[in-house]
Parts: sequence; structure tokens; C-alpha cells
Amino acid sequence: MASPITAKEKPSENPILFVARPMATAARQFAKSLIRPATIVYPYERLEDPTFRDRVAVASGRPIGVGHVWDNYRGVHALNIATCISCNLCAFSCPDLCIEMVTVPGGDPKHPKKCPEIDYGKCSYCGFCSDACPEGCLTMTTRYELSVARRAEMVYSPEKLYDVFRTKLPMNPIRVERPANEDAILLDPPLCIGCNACSRDCPTQCITMLDIPKPAAKPGEKQTKRIWKEPVINDSDCVRCGTCISVCPKECLFWGTRK
Amino acid sequence: MASATLYSVSDGLASALLHALGSVLPGPARAAVTNPNVIVGLAVLIFAVILLAASMLNTILLIWWERKLLGRFMDRRGAMHVGFAGLLQNFADGLKLFRKNTFQPQEADPLGFYTGPCAYMVTSLIIFGVLPISSGWNAGTLPLTLLLALAIFSFAPLFIFVSAWSSNNKYSLMGGMRSAAQMIAYEVPILLAVVAVILVAGSFNLTTIVYEQQNYWFWGPLVVALIVFVAGMLAEMERIPFDLPEAEAELVEGWNTEYGGMLFAFFMLADYLRALVGSILVVLLFLGGWTMPTWVPGALTSFPLAGIFWFMVKTYTVFGLFVWVRASLPRVRTDQLLRVGWNRMIPLSLLSIFLAAVLVTVKCLPLLGCVPGVGS
Ligand code: SF4
Ligand code: SF4
Repeated sequence: MASPITAKEKPSENPILFVARPMATAARQFAKSLIRPATIVYPYERLEDPTFRDRVAVASGRPIGVGHVWDNYRGVHALNIATCISCNLCAFSCPDLCIEMVTVPGGDPKHPKKCPEIDYGKCSYCGFCSDACPEGCLTMTTRYELSVARRAEMVYSPEKLYDVFRTKLPMNPIRVERPANEDAILLDPPLCIGCNACSRDCPTQCITMLDIPKPAAKPGEKQTKRIWKEPVINDSDCVRCGTCISVCPKECLFWGTRK
Repeated sequence: MASATLYSVSDGLASALLHALGSVLPGPARAAVTNPNVIVGLAVLIFAVILLAASMLNTILLIWWERKLLGRFMDRRGAMHVGFAGLLQNFADGLKLFRKNTFQPQEADPLGFYTGPCAYMVTSLIIFGVLPISSGWNAGTLPLTLLLALAIFSFAPLFIFVSAWSSNNKYSLMGGMRSAAQMIAYEVPILLAVVAVILVAGSFNLTTIVYEQQNYWFWGPLVVALIVFVAGMLAEMERIPFDLPEAEAELVEGWNTEYGGMLFAFFMLADYLRALVGSILVVLLFLGGWTMPTWVPGALTSFPLAGIFWFMVKTYTVFGLFVWVRASLPRVRTDQLLRVGWNRMIPLSLLSIFLAAVLVTVKCLPLLGCVPGVGS
């Protein structure tokens, strides 16, 4: 039975208590923080400094920033360029569009290697990119000091992110275990022209072009001599980056569930 | 102590200065410079400058004291970077405000807009002239210093209202009205509570009131008056829990929204000047001023400037109480504020007058000790 919303009658409070109780609470808080306020005097004391943490824990009996509080901090990213497969997933998943894929040395001229470049002026440290990265090469570290003199310095090139990686800062260990992706890339065969673009650009090389029988010639036309090919995707290698879909000139690849 | 008053010190300084100046000047100029009237003029000037410097310094220290205390109440440290323990932070803040541009809103009335804050500040400063800090520190022992101080103290709503009205902003005007209503509502209980003190002390003179407390401080017998006075002072100073005219967390500064830079600093300073005056009045009226109880060892009360020292200790403690209240209590609503003012505070203050009258008539209350020399 729906009852109309009414203001709840509060039990009437003794006016003396109404003043005395908060004053007592404040006094207790005052006495406690005379020994050591909870505030960390940041430039002089650092949470990541283990000796500082120990000192506080010993002095006040209140351990700070240990375990899960500090160790899954999301700070500057670390990128392992060597294992990055240029899949673009990080850039896709970024809600702030702060990742740009830029060319780094190490690819072949036809298929350049691209790695993420992150603009920390836009980044919201959500961690979606490192969750999306199929290779685990883009992770977040505990580095949080980012102030720079010029705005351009806020953009971290892949090399700079690699430098962060090499400093071996504590990495954010918590990675979302991604559920097995039911979706797969499917092909709409009649549209495919066998151009090889998807197979060429697949970062994991999981697309093989297989010969297929030539389609029957239309009446009145000559049978073509071309060899017809069609992509076959190895689902266990595919990281579901969707590169093939975006490069296909005929839009014949799409997401679907394989029967 | 009574021999070296603040005025005699500045008088001696002025005559020494002018005579030194006169000794290097030719005849007629020397006579003009060492003229007694000139000496008195310079002495008054020096006196005023010392008073100004002392009150400003104390006000700024008070802000520091509040920031530090409030910090501890909130589990943080307060100002700590500029100077030792952040002592110079407020000077830095003042410098910053001083360098800022002052804007005058469109179609604001320049006369009221500029004189409002200045008059608010000046009236708050004048009160220090009549407040005795120790036996030697006051402008003169006028017979009615208490009334004078309270009269000047109650100028403030007028100037707040003037500056709020002339800044050509309806929200400022509303804030000014609320502020004036609040101050006037709490002026009455304050004055009535002070009447109780006057009855017991038998004088309007602050110095006499202090000397009347040499045997016992008035806060014991007049505890009701003390409560009314402190609560009223909190409302007069517009401090939490009575800070609705400029509810920091919700409004953009209330009635001084349109003020920036140095004019804003004037309001800020004057607020703390008034807080200082309030704490000093509590000390003078209820906590024995610069006198200390007889059980305090003589060595602690007889060093030079001991009076001023103990006075300041008491003042800062009283202000610490205000900060404690600020850190604990939530803000009241306007209707609650006015209801408490008119319905609770005034009967309480009348009760305190009645108690004081009983005290004066009976002259001896068990538990509180006898009251010697009450009356005249
Ligand atoms: S942390 Fe979030 S916002 Fe920052 S780069 Fe990664 S996905 Fe983009
Ligand atoms: S998601 Fe990982 S592997 Fe893919 S491009 Fe980004 S960093 Fe490289």
C-alpha cells in the first residue's frame, strides 16, 4: 500500500545534548590530531615511500595506504613497445579519445608498427585502455607526478611510455579477466572481392586467404581467369580488435556469433 | 605598571624625538618644533600608530590561530609553509589581496560602495582605543568605556547594509538585510547581559569592572549572562553557527559578493577585528581582564608586561572556544536564529539581570563566595 511521503517526526532532541554532543566529538578529534593529523604533508612525506608508511603505522597505529589502497593506483601508463601488436584496441576503448596511434620504428614499410601516444591533458585515468589491451603491454603504474611547464609535454609518446615501463614502477596488478568473447568476425561471402586488405592489416596475422571456387560466369560473360580468395579467420588467435572490419573496402566483414 | 602607561610612553618618545630634532635646527624652527602642542600631537599620533599596529598584528595572529586550530579539528595542519608554522601566511594572503584589482560593479553607488568597507573597518578599529588591555594600556579612563565600546560595536549593521545596498546586486542587498536583522536581534540580549555585569560591578568603566574582579571572576556568579553574551557575540561576529549572512559553504560571500581585492580584505580584517573585540570583551567582563587569581604564584604574574601577557592568553583561549564552536556545530536556519534570539536569549538575559540583582542585594551567596565591595 503506497503511503504518501510525509516528513518523519524526529525524536525531539535535548537542546543541551544537541550542542554538547558535537562539541565533544570535535574535542575528541582535536585531541587525536594533536598527536598526528591524518593529512600527509605531501611534498615532504610520500605515500609511496615505504619508510614513511612504516613510521606512520608505528607512530599512530593507523597503517595508511597499504595493500589494496595504494597498489592498484591508476597513474601514468607503462607501455612495452616490444609486445604491442598495434591492435588499436586501447585507442578504441578510450572514452576521452586521448590515445593516438603513432608510428614507431620496427614495422615493415607496408605494415607500419603503431603504438599508443597518450595525451594526459585529456586522460581520466579510467584504466579502460589497459583493460582492453589483449597483450597486457599497456598497464598503469603508480606514478602520479605529472606537472609540466608546457602543454605539449603532457603528450607522452610511445617512447616515453616505454621509459616509464623500464623504470619498473609497481604496476597495477589488477586486470579484469575478460570473459571469453562469443563474438567473432563473420564474412558475407557474396560481397567479398578477395582484396587481401584484412589479412594484410591483421595485427595477429590470424587471417589466411584461402582459394575458393570461381563463381559461375553470368550468361553472356566470359569466365574470369582471376584466382578467387576468401579470408578465413582463426578465432583462437583473433584479439577482436576489429581492424579488418575497418579496412575492408566492401564492408563485408561484421560482428556476429559463429554457428 | 600604573606608572608607565601607553600614552606616557608615546609622550616620552614624542618629546625625545622632537627635542633631538630641535637641537639640530636653528632657533625659530627649534621653538616651533618643541612647542608642547606639537609634542602632544605627535604623541597622540604615535599612540594611535602603536594601537593600530598592535590591533592589526593581533588580528592577523588571530586568523592564524583560527586556521591552525580549525586544521587540527579537521585532522589536518592548517597553514604551515610561509614562515615558522605558517605564521606569515596571512601576511602573504594580505599582500595578494592588496595587489588585486578592485572592481566596481556597474551602476554601483561609489560613495556607499567605497565608504562602506572603510567605515566598517574604522569603526571596528576605534573600539580598540577604549578597550583596556592592561592597567596602562588604554586611551583614557572614561567613565563610560563599556557603553562607548558597545555603541561603536553596534554601528556595523549600518555599514554592512550601506555597502550591500550600494553594490547594486539584489543578492547582496538581501544578504545585507539578513545580516542587519541578525545583528540587531542579538544586540538586545548582549546589552541586557552586560547590564548584569554592570549591576554587579557597579560601574560602566571597563577598568573598574576589571578591578572589581580581583577577588573572583564574574563568570562564576554570572554564568547565565556569560552564556548569553558568548552566544550573542557569535551572532554579532557572524561566525558559525550563526553565519547565515555569509554561509561560506553555500553562498558566494553573502553581502560582500561584489567586493574584491583590498575592499574584501577590509571586510575580512574587520570581521576578525570584531572577533578580537568580542573575545576581549568576554575577558574583560567575565574573566578578570589582566588580573590573575591569588593562588597563581607571584613569579608568574609580576614579570614586566605580565598583565598584557595574561590578557592575551585569555583572549586567545576565548577565541579558541569560538573556533571550537565553529568546528562542531551546524549552521542554524534564519527562523531558528531569530527565534533563539528573541524567545530564548532575551528571557535568559533578563534572568541573568535578576540573578545579578539578587547577588547585589544579598551580597553573599553560598558556594560562590561572598561578594565584597559590591555596589559602590
Ligand atoms: S586511462 Fe582511460 S582515458 Fe586514459 S588513455 Fe586509458 S582509456 Fe583513455
Ligand atoms: S591495445 Fe595493447 S597491443 Fe593493442 S595497440 Fe594498444 S598497447 Fe598495443
